Amino acid sequence: MEKLADFKHALDESAIVAITDHRGKIVHVNANFCAISKYTAAELIGQDHRIVNSGYHSKDFIKGLWNTISKGQIWKGELRNRAKDGSIYWVDTTIVPFVNQEGKPYQYVAIRSDITKRKVSEERLKATLRELSDYKDALDESAIVAITDHRGTITHVNVKFCQISKYSEEELIGQDHRIINSGYHPPDFFQNLWKTIANGKIWKGEIRNRAKDGTIYWVDTTIVPFLNATGKPYQYVSIRNDITERKLTEEALKKSNDRALGYIKAMENKNRQLVDFCNIVSHNLRAPLVNISMLVDYLEDAEDAIERSELQGKLKPVINHLMEVFNELVESIQVQQETDIVSDDIDLQKIIDRILVGFAPQILLSKAEIKTDFSTAPGVHFPSKYLESALTNLISNSLKYQSPDRSPVIRIASKRIDNKVQLSVTDNGLGFDLKLHQSNLFKIRKTFHKHKDAKGFGLFMTKTQVEAMGGRIWADSEPNKGSTFIIEIDSSSVWKE
Amino acid sequence: MERVKKLILVDDDEVFVYLTKKALKQVDFIDLYSEFGNGLDALTYLRQHQGQLNKLPDILFLDLSMPIMDGWQFLNEYSKIGPFMGKKIHIYICSSSISPEDIAHAKTLNEVSDFIIKPIYKDKLIELMRHFDA
Repeated sequence: MEKLADFKHALDESAIVAITDHRGKIVHVNANFCAISKYTAAELIGQDHRIVNSGYHSKDFIKGLWNTISKGQIWKGELRNRAKDGSIYWVDTTIVPFVNQEGKPYQYVAIRSDITKRKVSEERLKATLRELSDYKDALDESAIVAITDHRGTITHVNVKFCQISKYSEEELIGQDHRIINSGYHPPDFFQNLWKTIANGKIWKGEIRNRAKDGTIYWVDTTIVPFLNATGKPYQYVSIRNDITERKLTEEALKKSNDRALGYIKAMENKNRQLVDFCNIVSHNLRAPLVNISMLVDYLEDAEDAIERSELQGKLKPVINHLMEVFNELVESIQVQQETDIVSDDIDLQKIIDRILVGFAPQILLSKAEIKTDFSTAPGVHFPSKYLESALTNLISNSLKYQSPDRSPVIRIASKRIDNKVQLSVTDNGLGFDLKLHQSNLFKIRKTFHKHKDAKGFGLFMTKTQVEAMGGRIWADSEPNKGSTFIIEIDSSSVWKE
Repeated sequence: MERVKKLILVDDDEVFVYLTKKALKQVDFIDLYSEFGNGLDALTYLRQHQGQLNKLPDILFLDLSMPIMDGWQFLNEYSKIGPFMGKKIHIYICSSSISPEDIAHAKTLNEVSDFIIKPIYKDKLIELMRHFDA
């Protein structure tokens, strides 16, 4: 008996114990039962267990319990109860029926232990898992998702990924993303991407991909590295959104923008040419006309034959001059109108050799030294007629305006700057005051030296030809040191008005 | 003030200079004192004779389009020495240009008395003198 009392004591200490009669009426509760249910023993005795029912379990569940124990079998399960103050507690429950001689239970002993903490964290976990799965569903629904291992091998793709890439899941798993590479981005673009994510950082950017059928699609991409305990990425989750339509619109917009800019540039050019033309007519054509008209007026009033013949003698050179200016103007306008002139692939050394043949007597006479260097840009794409005329003119100027103190040294060189080629002709001749002549340097009938052959047409014509092909020409000079003329032409694609 | 005005002609057009001389011969109130073929030569002369009143002109006819130093560049340089010449030199731009841009630009310059569009005949000189006296 003493032993039994020890067991009871041990049970009361460790478990929540209640005893009911065969109808379920509580006849005994221990202190643990009162503590967890927050009822006193007096409040509980005579009640049945519905007093702590939380309404959580189904009727069938309770019925099953009663079916088991009323047959004299032990029932085990987890029950959710409500304490007097409304708080919820979970108990792991074992109900042992005590049976009489007929095998009918005459009382039930319920031994319970408090599992509230476990149940609450279980429920939290379940809620978190449910939330996670909701997120995943939402992501799969809204975005293009792929997961790769740390080497970039695809381990998971969602339906949207398959839809846009037009590959099946089987075709994608085990591959890396090169399968959809469109070859659009430069190698350092992907190098940078990998450097970022391999360092555990998130990468964001816009990628142009190619689907299985060859169609191009653009995706706004975020790649999130998942790090292991040592901080090394063990997988990458990429979340993408289709931005193809936006990109196509952007591209179309940029194209039409570029085209508009091209038109504006062409129009500005035309307008400048028109202003130049107006000035030429005003200055250079009107001057000889004024002279002719004055000469004719004085001829009419001439008093004697001597005066008449003097005036007539003046008339002829003015008319010749007018003719000359007029012809030059026509020539320059022809260049501007020559829109169908074709560009040739020009070997610079060859064209210079050919031009120099024409200057052989002057070079010999002045002991001129000609140095060429076309090593970094040996050729250009340009109308050879224009280039020959431009280079001939610049070399001719270098020989014409040589210094009386030294033999001419003329350097002709080419260099490539991005997609442009700069051709330069540098001499050690007379030079000119750049500050004084900059604005008139390339204008018609403007001369800067007291030289009998200075006409003011060569540089004007060279500029007209270079600009008609979308190029530029400028000069640098210092008096008595020499001059450099630089022609810059677009060599990748020739822009023509 | 003397009745006969001294004139310096700055123009590279030989025929025009010849014709202007003819017109000047027809009037007796302007005396062609000197002529230069470009702006730089004229500027050098003026610099060298700064303050020598009897060697400086009353009137200067200035062409715009000239080699070496054109009319605009001459005016730009002259603006620096004009106040120190010791004498007011009336500069008239004489150009064949009918460009409104040139005429408008000339109006903005203090050194320029007027803009004469070529040709220059006797009556234009008479007209000029009337303004000059007034």
